[in-house]
Amino acid sequence: MAQGTGSVSHLDRHHAHHFKSGHEEFEACKQGMWIFLVTEVLFFSGMFVAYAVLRVFYPDMMHDVHHHKLLDWRMGALNTVVLITSSWTMARAVSSSQRGEQKNTVGFLWATLLLAGVFLVVKYFEYSHKIHEHILPGAQYAYEGLTTAKVPIFMSVYFVMTGIHGLHVVIGMGVIYYLIRRAKRNEFGPRYFTPVEMTGLYWHFVDLVWIYLFPLLYLVG
Amino acid sequence: MSEHHSNEQHHILSNSMAAKIFGALLVLTVVTVWVAQFDLGSLNFAVAMLVASVKATLVCLFFMGLKYDHKENTVIFSTSFIFMIIFMILTFGDLLTRGDVYVKDMSKIIPDGAVAAQTKSKYEKAWVSNPELLAHGKELFAAQCVTCHGAGGAGNGVAAAGLNPKPRNFTVADGWKNGRKASAIYGTLTKGLNSMPAFASLPPDDRWALSHYVRTLGPHESEKDSAEDLKKAGIDASGAGGGSAGEKQIPIDVAIDLMSEKS
Repeated sequence: MAQGTGSVSHLDRHHAHHFKSGHEEFEACKQGMWIFLVTEVLFFSGMFVAYAVLRVFYPDMMHDVHHHKLLDWRMGALNTVVLITSSWTMARAVSSSQRGEQKNTVGFLWATLLLAGVFLVVKYFEYSHKIHEHILPGAQYAYEGLTTAKVPIFMSVYFVMTGIHGLHVVIGMGVIYYLIRRAKRNEFGPRYFTPVEMTGLYWHFVDLVWIYLFPLLYLVG
Repeated sequence: MSEHHSNEQHHILSNSMAAKIFGALLVLTVVTVWVAQFDLGSLNFAVAMLVASVKATLVCLFFMGLKYDHKENTVIFSTSFIFMIIFMILTFGDLLTRGDVYVKDMSKIIPDGAVAAQTKSKYEKAWVSNPELLAHGKELFAAQCVTCHGAGGAGNGVAAAGLNPKPRNFTVADGWKNGRKASAIYGTLTKGLNSMPAFASLPPDDRWALSHYVRTLGPHESEKDSAEDLKKAGIDASGAGGGSAGEKQIPIDVAIDLMSEKS
């Protein structure tokens, strides 16, 4: 076995018969994960294009949203920090599992799960404030502080984009919890860490989407 | 052993590198929030996207390990962004050029009478004000115009701050580029002026209603359309046929609506 600290020779565990080696199985799995992430980008791209079109055609809509502070940038910034931190803990969970540090793997996975929960709690406060003030999509919009024809359209974009992103966070939490249970049974180590690495890729992607959503929705007016 | 050949070894992100990337992402988040405080015009958007892209690149290269991974995974992931750009180009290529396209001969694609129904007036002379038109104009004004022109028409709507030249102040007599007659306002609504878009997709009656209503917001009573003015606007004041005079074209989005109703 390789002794180097910076890399691990791995995956000579029992592998499916149609792969030459555990390594090949791992690489195929990872490539499949990247292809899945391509479909995720394309899935979100529909929403990003809709946002771009509305932004170009209704600059006054963006101006109104920004000027009347319909979104609280502090909440968005807080959630950005939370999600970036969770990306870091996830990266540490992956490298811990690769080094066979079971306690750290479980600990960092728990930290990631906890931060994902914090993200959703902040989102809950944002949503409930908007529901209370009737700052809602389309025909549901009835905010007394600002009456315009276009802002309800922005709120549709806001709720769909953050809602779908939030759904990804919830799904990620489920998968991370499943990993914690497996990590506790000591199933991951230098020879096998595929599920942890794949979940890491997914979780970083969820962070990636938020990295763009935060400035687009909360900052630029 | 070939099994332990270097290309079968998986890179492990060191703790110090993970910490550095984490720190860089936090700093960049502070930067993007800090820059947003300043009004740099359209540069704000460019800077925000640049910072986000640097953050995204760091996440991809280090946290997702593309820097140490086979290049084909980078190629695979990049294709998604290439297709996103194609998506953008095709969408905007369509939307941004639609305003130039007017369907000249509607009879080939739209059922008989549909265009006439779209542009037909309820009134014998929509270019002459009446209480019904004024009431309708008031409603339309609140829905379409107040954002820029303000509730009272003083040119002080919420969006006015971002516009140059400023929206017309309807409460005073000065500064009207096309004049204050109903036919002139109707023309401005049809064609647009400076940053004001054309409202040609509103039926003629709606545009007349708005024209008459706007004239009630200031001292414009004395500015009346002569037969000559109306003729210039394409209206034969003596002939019957309602306010649709001169309307042989309809905008492409109205045409698309009519076509989809047909099918």
